[in-house]
Amino acid sequence: MHRPALLLFLALLFALAPQAAAKGRYFDLPPLPDPALYGNRLLNRSAEKNGVKPALFSHWLHRAKYTCRVCHVELGFNMELGTTEITEARNQHGEYCGACHDGKEAFGHTPDNCDRCHTGDLTAGADKFNAFAVTMPRTSYGNNIDWVKAVKEGKLQPKRTLLANPPQAIAYDKDLKLDAGWTMIPPAFFSHADHNLWLDCANCHPDIFNVKKKTTAHFSMRYNLDGKFCGLCHLRVSFPLDDCDRCHPAMH
Amino acid sequence: MGTIGRRVAVVAISVIVSVSAGAETFGMRKQIPRPDAYGRVVMDSFATKAQVAPVVFDHWNHRNRYTCRLCHVDLGFAMRAGETGVREADNRHGLYCGACHNNKEAFGWEREERQGLTTKPVEACDRCHSVGKAITPEKDFYAVTQAMPKSGYGNHVDWLAAEAKGLIHLQDELPGITRKRKPIRYAGEVVLHAREFNMPEIVFSHTKHAVWNGCEMCHPEIFGVEKGATKYTMQDIFEGRFCGACHDKVSFPMNFDCRLCHTKDVF
Repeated sequence: MHRPALLLFLALLFALAPQAAAKGRYFDLPPLPDPALYGNRLLNRSAEKNGVKPALFSHWLHRAKYTCRVCHVELGFNMELGTTEITEARNQHGEYCGACHDGKEAFGHTPDNCDRCHTGDLTAGADKFNAFAVTMPRTSYGNNIDWVKAVKEGKLQPKRTLLANPPQAIAYDKDLKLDAGWTMIPPAFFSHADHNLWLDCANCHPDIFNVKKKTTAHFSMRYNLDGKFCGLCHLRVSFPLDDCDRCHPAMH
Repeated sequence: MGTIGRRVAVVAISVIVSVSAGAETFGMRKQIPRPDAYGRVVMDSFATKAQVAPVVFDHWNHRNRYTCRLCHVDLGFAMRAGETGVREADNRHGLYCGACHNNKEAFGWEREERQGLTTKPVEACDRCHSVGKAITPEKDFYAVTQAMPKSGYGNHVDWLAAEAKGLIHLQDELPGITRKRKPIRYAGEVVLHAREFNMPEIVFSHTKHAVWNGCEMCHPEIFGVEKGATKYTMQDIFEGRFCGACHDKVSFPMNFDCRLCHTKDVF
C-alpha cells in the first residue's frame, strides 16, 4: 500500500470509528412513543426558570387545524426545541403562541387559561387524542394517522395562513425519483403535491434542500437518520423513518 | 512519498478531522431571527482589537428614516459586515456613521450622559458600542413599528406599505454632505422568466425598489443594464448574490413566501 493511501485509510478509520460506535448501527432508530404522544413537546426554555410549569405543545392537536406553514413560516417558530425565544410578554404582544391564543382565534392568555398549556405533563391530552384518532384514516407508525389522506378526503381542512391578504400558494407538483446511494435499495419517491398540503416551499428551501437538482451536499439516509434533511420532520412529527416503504415503495 | 502525495494526505486528513469534529449545520433549517433582530449587523472591524465593545447596527432603526442609497452609495458603506472598515477617526471626521452622528443630524460621540432615554441615561458611546452591555435603546422597536402595516416576515413590518401610507418619511440627502438627486423617472416593470417548469414568473418593479434605492444600488455592479445580459439562478440568489445581496439580509427574506416575487402564473 502506498504511504499516502495508508495515511488516508488510517485517518478515515480514526475519524469515523468513534462516530460509528456512538451511533450504533445505521438503523438503530429511536424508540417510538405511544401514538398519542408522538410529536408532543414540553416547552421549557424559560418556564421553570420563571417558576412556571413547562407548556405542553401537541403537534397532533395543532396540525388538525393548521398547516405546519402557519407556525414554522409565518409565526417564526424554529425547528429545534428551545431555540425559539417565546416569552409570556411576546405572547401577550401577539407573537408566537399569542398570534392565535388571543381569545379570538383560540383561547387567550388569561390567568384562568394558564393551566391549559402549562401542564408540565407530556402525556396530558392522551384521551382527547384517542377520541380524535378514531375519526381519522389509520396507518402505522407516528400518530397512527394518515394525515395526508385525511386532508385529501376532506376530513381535515388545516388553515394555510393567518394573514389577511396571503400570497397565493404556488401549485408546484413535480414528483421526484431519488435514487438510493446503496445498492439493492429501491429509489425513494418524493411528492411535492403531498408535501404542499402542509408546507410552503420555504419550509424546506433553500435552508434544508437546494433548489437545483442534485446539488444538496451530504443528502443521504445516514444524515436523515441523524434528524437532518427528511429526518428533520420525519422522525419527530410527520411519519417516522421506520416506515421504509412509504418513501421506498418497492422495499419489502 | 512525493510532495503531491503528502499534500493530498494532509488535505484529506484535515478535511476529515474538520468534518467529524465540527458542528454539522447542513440539512437543518436556519434560525428565524426575531423581528427586532432582523437586519442586525455587528460591526467589529477594529472595536474588539481596540478593547471597545463592538457596534450593534439595526437596519430597522435607520431605514425607517433614510434611504438605503444614502448610506450604501453616498456614504460608502459596503454591503457586507466587516468590509467597510469604519474607524473612530473616520467618524469624527464626518465620514461613515459620523456623517449623521455629529450632534446635529443625530447624536454624536461626546462622552456625556444623555437624558431622555427610556430607562437611565447612558454615555453616548454605549448607545452604539453596546455588545455585551444592557443598553435599553432610545427607540423601542415595538413603539416605532406598532402603527405600521404588518407582514409575517423579516421585521414583520410591510415597509413599502408604511411608506406609501405616509407613516415614515425617507430622507435621501444630507444637506452639505451629499448631493440631492432627482427621483428616478424610470418606472418600468420587468418580467423575469423562471427556468423551472411551471414556476410563476417574477415581476420586478423598478418603482417599488426606487423608494429606498437609486439606480446605483444595483447597476451596474450587481446587475448589468442591458436586458438579459446578467445570467443568474435562484441558487446564486440563495447564496447571497444578485437579489440576495439585500433580500434575506435586510429587505424581506426569501425563506418566507416565493409568491412575494414569483407573482405571474405561466399558465
